[in-house]
Amino acid sequence: MNTTVMALTTRALLGRRRILLLLPMPLVLIGLTLIGVTSGSGSDGWGPLVFGGLGLAVVLPLTALIVGSSVLGLEIDDGTITHLLTKPLPRSEIVLSKLCVAWLVTTVAVGVPLAISALIAGSPALAAGLVAGALLGSLAYTALFLALSLITKRPVAVGLVYIMLWENLLVGFVDGAKVFSVQQHATTFANTIAKSPMLNDTVPVVTAMIIAAVFVAVGTVGATLRLRSFALTGEAT
Amino acid sequence: MPENGNGATGVIHDIGYQRYEGVRLGRGYSARSLFTQSVRGAYGLGRSAWAKVLPIGLLAAASVAALILVVVNTQLPVEVIDYVGMASTFTYAATVFVAVVAPELVSVDLRTNLLSLYLSRPMTRTDYALTKLAALATATFVMLGGPMLILFVGMAFSTDNGIAGVFSEFGGLLQGLLAAAIHAAVLASLALPFASLTGRRVFATGMIIGVTLLTAPISGVLQALGEGAGRQLAGLIDPVSLLNGVDRWLFDGGIFDVGPYGPVYGLGALVIIAVGTSCTLWRYRKVKS
Repeated sequence: MNTTVMALTTRALLGRRRILLLLPMPLVLIGLTLIGVTSGSGSDGWGPLVFGGLGLAVVLPLTALIVGSSVLGLEIDDGTITHLLTKPLPRSEIVLSKLCVAWLVTTVAVGVPLAISALIAGSPALAAGLVAGALLGSLAYTALFLALSLITKRPVAVGLVYIMLWENLLVGFVDGAKVFSVQQHATTFANTIAKSPMLNDTVPVVTAMIIAAVFVAVGTVGATLRLRSFALTGEAT
Repeated sequence: MPENGNGATGVIHDIGYQRYEGVRLGRGYSARSLFTQSVRGAYGLGRSAWAKVLPIGLLAAASVAALILVVVNTQLPVEVIDYVGMASTFTYAATVFVAVVAPELVSVDLRTNLLSLYLSRPMTRTDYALTKLAALATATFVMLGGPMLILFVGMAFSTDNGIAGVFSEFGGLLQGLLAAAIHAAVLASLALPFASLTGRRVFATGMIIGVTLLTAPISGVLQALGEGAGRQLAGLIDPVSLLNGVDRWLFDGGIFDVGPYGPVYGLGALVIIAVGTSCTLWRYRKVKS
């Protein structure tokens, strides 16, 4: 890890107006929880929709997609990656530093509002579980999307197709697709800790952990290898 | 050297420069050219193979789904899904399509300051905005309508009632294409204003998908909490449910229960188209070039 690279990445990511893009999602999450709590109806009705359907299925992947593909993708777009690559740093160190920043930012941006929502709903165990789920999920997601931003010139589009078509559409039809869905890994991990009726996990927790670890390893190693033979090209055509 | 001051002056030689006296192609021509190029660009035609993968892949996936539906529809005694139902079902995939394609159409132009080049032609800012909007809507319409044609061909060949069966399928196809046109117009006018805000495709896609992906659970929660009218009106928040509501109202197809509020959904769709178009026009009046 290189603290200078990390500091620069953090500043590039958070230093400008674009950080505001991450703001609406937590607000919607907390707002919906407030509506649910004040509506007086049981949390069994709206809980799974807010925590599972919105929190872990939308807010987490979307934040991870924007953050994970920006940390390195923006540098490639701007061409500043040349400055980074000409420094005497191992490529693995660059990738790990970038991944670390993306992981931390995503975890904070997702975990904190989720925890607040769960506390509003009156369940500290759920809050702990959701934070753990956000930790694991954002690591797997950001590792994947970081590697994507090096492999393809349109990482957001590819990542989006994965999130919307694989995780949200295909999983509904083909049961086996769940095993390779980070969203299911995060939900499973969260529910192992929270043991809450508001989360529906479907994958055995050991399988989820192993596949998530494989995702992280493949993402990190893949990104490092790709960065070693990285060709500087222009804008995608 | 010409001598100055004592009478002799220099000579300007006529080296044959001529004025252009041919036909000048006007606004219509440039708008049409931009339209065709944009629709082609939306599907990555005339670009690298990687640019084709996603849009063509989505279209291919939808076409394969249509082929499967032909088989299912002909093998089962009842029709599982009709043309309008297909428009409703594929809307979700179409939102992915607009989120990927809309930034391709406008963000790159913004990022590379191409707009000033377009405006050096007879094309005006309004022309540019409307043409891009039309191109996005057309590309989305192809994405939704193409699979319907496959379904129609399959069903027409396997009909039991001879030519009458073909005509009844054709009526269904027309309804489906009308639904597809409405879906395409709404999705395009929803996506393009967001895409035109930023030159970065990352953030453009993020914003568009945020709108569709984030509103779905909100409307889900409101449907779970509300009862009666509240439940039937909650779909207005989420574009996909809104379009399904319009389908239910106009064609009595679709998968979303709107109760007596069908016209409200129709109005909602019109408002989205109107507001989206005027936001795009307003945005392009402000863009520096």
